[in-house]
Amino acid sequence: MPDSKKNPGFAGITGDFKVTEAEIRGTEYVGVRAVDGGHASVSGTLPFQVASRGASDQPLFEGAHGERLEKILSRYEDPQGALLPALHLAHEIRGHLSPEAMDAVAERLGLSPAYVRGVASFYTMYNLQPLGRYLIQVCTNISCNLCGGDEVMRAFLKHTGIEPGEVSEDGLWTVIEVECLAACGFPTAVQINERYFENVRPEDVPAILDRLRKEAPEMGAPAAPTGSES
Amino acid sequence: MAYPFVHPDETRVLSKHFGEPEARTLAGWEARGGYQALRKAVEMGPAEIVSEVKDSGLRGRGGAGFPTGVKWSFMPQASGKPHYLLCNADESEPGTFKDRELIRWTPHQLIEGCLIGARAINVQHVYIYNRGEFFETTQILARAIEEAYEAGYIGKDILGSGVDIDITLHMGAGAYICGEETGLMNSLEGRRGEPRLKPPFPAAVGAFGRPTTINNVETLCAVPHIVTHGGEWYRQWGTEKSPGTKLFCVSGHVRKPGNYEVPLGFNFREFIYEMCGGPPEGRALKAVIPGGSSVPILRPEEIDIGMDYEAMAAAGTMLGCGSVIVMDETTDIVKQVRRMSDFYTHESCGQCTPCREGTAWASRILKRIEDGWGSEEDLDTLLELSENMAGKTICTFSDAAAAPIVSSVQKFRDDYLALIRRGENLAASA
Ligand SMILES: Cc1cc2nc3c(=O)[nH]c(=O)nc-3n(C[C@H](O)[C@H](O)[C@H](O)COP(=O)(O)O)c2cc1C
Repeated sequence: MPDSKKNPGFAGITGDFKVTEAEIRGTEYVGVRAVDGGHASVSGTLPFQVASRGASDQPLFEGAHGERLEKILSRYEDPQGALLPALHLAHEIRGHLSPEAMDAVAERLGLSPAYVRGVASFYTMYNLQPLGRYLIQVCTNISCNLCGGDEVMRAFLKHTGIEPGEVSEDGLWTVIEVECLAACGFPTAVQINERYFENVRPEDVPAILDRLRKEAPEMGAPAAPTGSES
Repeated sequence: MAYPFVHPDETRVLSKHFGEPEARTLAGWEARGGYQALRKAVEMGPAEIVSEVKDSGLRGRGGAGFPTGVKWSFMPQASGKPHYLLCNADESEPGTFKDRELIRWTPHQLIEGCLIGARAINVQHVYIYNRGEFFETTQILARAIEEAYEAGYIGKDILGSGVDIDITLHMGAGAYICGEETGLMNSLEGRRGEPRLKPPFPAAVGAFGRPTTINNVETLCAVPHIVTHGGEWYRQWGTEKSPGTKLFCVSGHVRKPGNYEVPLGFNFREFIYEMCGGPPEGRALKAVIPGGSSVPILRPEEIDIGMDYEAMAAAGTMLGCGSVIVMDETTDIVKQVRRMSDFYTHESCGQCTPCREGTAWASRILKRIEDGWGSEEDLDTLLELSENMAGKTICTFSDAAAAPIVSSVQKFRDDYLALIRRGENLAASA
C-alpha cells in the first residue's frame, strides 16, 4: 500500500528519486546481447533484452545456438551441470519444452530421455505445453495478497477473457498465479514473459495489456485483432 | 522512506548506491572505490581474509545467521582439485526482495564479494545461482561479469597476482527449494532440486562432490567493505553477537514499504512505526512476520525487541532473511496462513513424507476452516500435524511450513474460532 503511485504499471518511482523505467530495468547498460550468448561465463543466461516467446521450428543447437551450448558446457566439470541451461535454451528457441526438445537435450548431454524429463518436470519455469505469446504471472502470495493480489489476478482474467492456464483464442495470453516473485515491496508484482510489472492495481490492467498488444507485432506475434479493446 | 527513497536514519553501507544507474557500470563502480578491496584481498591472502571476516562477526544473511568466517574456515586447504563457492541468489522466501535490488543496482559489489570470498577459501570457480525468474537483473549481472572479465578482475592471473578465479552465472528454473543449500547443489548439477542428507557437509562433499561453500548475496556483498575497513569497523554497528548492518525488506500493510538498511539490534517497533510509517492511516497493527514466511508470527505487543538474531530468538521467532511482513486489523489471518500453506504445498520437493503429506493436509484443513466448514478439533489436528512436520525431515523446509501454522493457531486462535463459529451458525440456520 505505497503512498506514491504515479507510474501505474511500474514501480512507483517519483519524487527526488528520478530514475526512469529503463534505468531501473538496466536496458541501456545491458544493451542487446549476442545470440551466441556472449562471454562463456554468462552464456547460460538469456541473451535477449526482451526475449520473444519464440516458437521457432529451426533445428535446436545449431549455428549461434550451438556455439552457445558449447560455451555453456565448457563451464561445468560434468556435462550434466549444463542440463538446466540447456533446457532454458531449448525452451527459448521453441517457446516451450516439447518432448522432442527434451530428447534433443538428452542426446546432446549424453543423458537418458527419462532422466531429462524427470528433471524438467521438477521446475515450474519449464513449460511442457505451448503458451500464449505473453505468459502473465500474477503473484498472489502473502505480501501481494495483503495488498490486493487476488483482485489483480481477477482483472487479468477478466480483461483477457480466459481461465487460468488457458491460451486465449488470439494466441496472445496465458494468465496464471505465481508464487512470490521477490518484489514484495511493490505489490502487486506481475511477471510478463521476462519483464516485471510492479505496483500493479486492477485498474492498471487494461493499459498494460494495450502496451503489450502494441509490442506484440514487433516480436513477430500474430497482429492484434482489431476492435478488441476490452 | 526506503528505496526508492532514502530514510535519513538508515545506515547505508551495502545499499549506499541504490538508485544510481551509473553505479552499476564498471567505470561507475570504480569511481565509487570499487575493486580496491579486491586489490587488498589478493595481497592479504586467504588466512588473513578469513580472520578479518571472523573478527567482523558477519553472519549469513540467507536466513540461518551462521558466522561467515567460521563457515569459511571449514573449507580444506587447496588440494589441486576444484573447490567451489556458490552464491545463493535464489531469493524466493515470501516477503524477501533484497538480493534482487543488490544485484540490480550494485552488480559489481556482488562480483567483488564473490572474488574475495573465493580467494579466502582457495576456490577457482564461483557459481552464482540466480533465481530463474530474475531475467532482468540476471542480464545486468551478466553484463557486469563480462565487464569484469574484460578488465581482468575475473579470470586468469587476477590483477597480476597469479590467482585464477572464474565466475559462472547459472539460472535456476523456478523452485523455492533450490534456495536450500543442498537442493541448490543438486540443481546446479542438473538434478531435481531435492535437498541432500547432511553429513556429509558441503565443505567436505559439495557440488560435483567437491568441497563447497554456499553464501547468500547479501553476505558476500558485505565482504568487500569488511576487507577495506577491517572487522573492527564493521562492529561499530549492531550488537556484540549480531554485528553490522542488514537490509530489511518491508511489505504488506505499511505506508512506506521497501528496502531499509539499519544496524542490527534496531528497535523493531520504532522501525515499523517511525521508519516505515506504520500501518495505513486509521488502522491498527494486527500482526508482523519479522523474517519471511518461514518464521513464527508476532503480535503487536511482542515487537518491543531488537532486530537482531538473539532478540528475535528470545521472542520465539527468527530474524530469518529480514523480511518484515506487516498486517493491519483488516487482515484475515486464516486466509493468509492458508495462502502461505498453499505455497509450501506447491513447493515441497516431495522426498520426505511428513513434509509432502503434512503440507497438503494443512492446506486442506486451513481451506476448510476459511470456508466455514471447520471445527475446533481441526485446530488440534493442525497443531499435531505441525508437530509431526518439524525436525523430522531431510531439510528444514517442513519446519518452515509449520511455523506460521503453529504460531497463528496459538496467537490468533480467536480468528480461527470466529470462522468456525460463523460456519456453525450458518449451518444451523440453513
Ligand atoms: C527451504 C529453504 C529455502 C532457502 N532459500 C534460500 C534463499 O532463497 N536464499 C538464500 O540465500 N538462502 C536460502 N536458504 C538458506 C540456505 O540453505 C543457506 O543457509 C544460505 O544460503 C547460506 O548462506 P549464508 O551463510 O550466507 O546465509 C534456504 C533454506 C531453506 C531451508
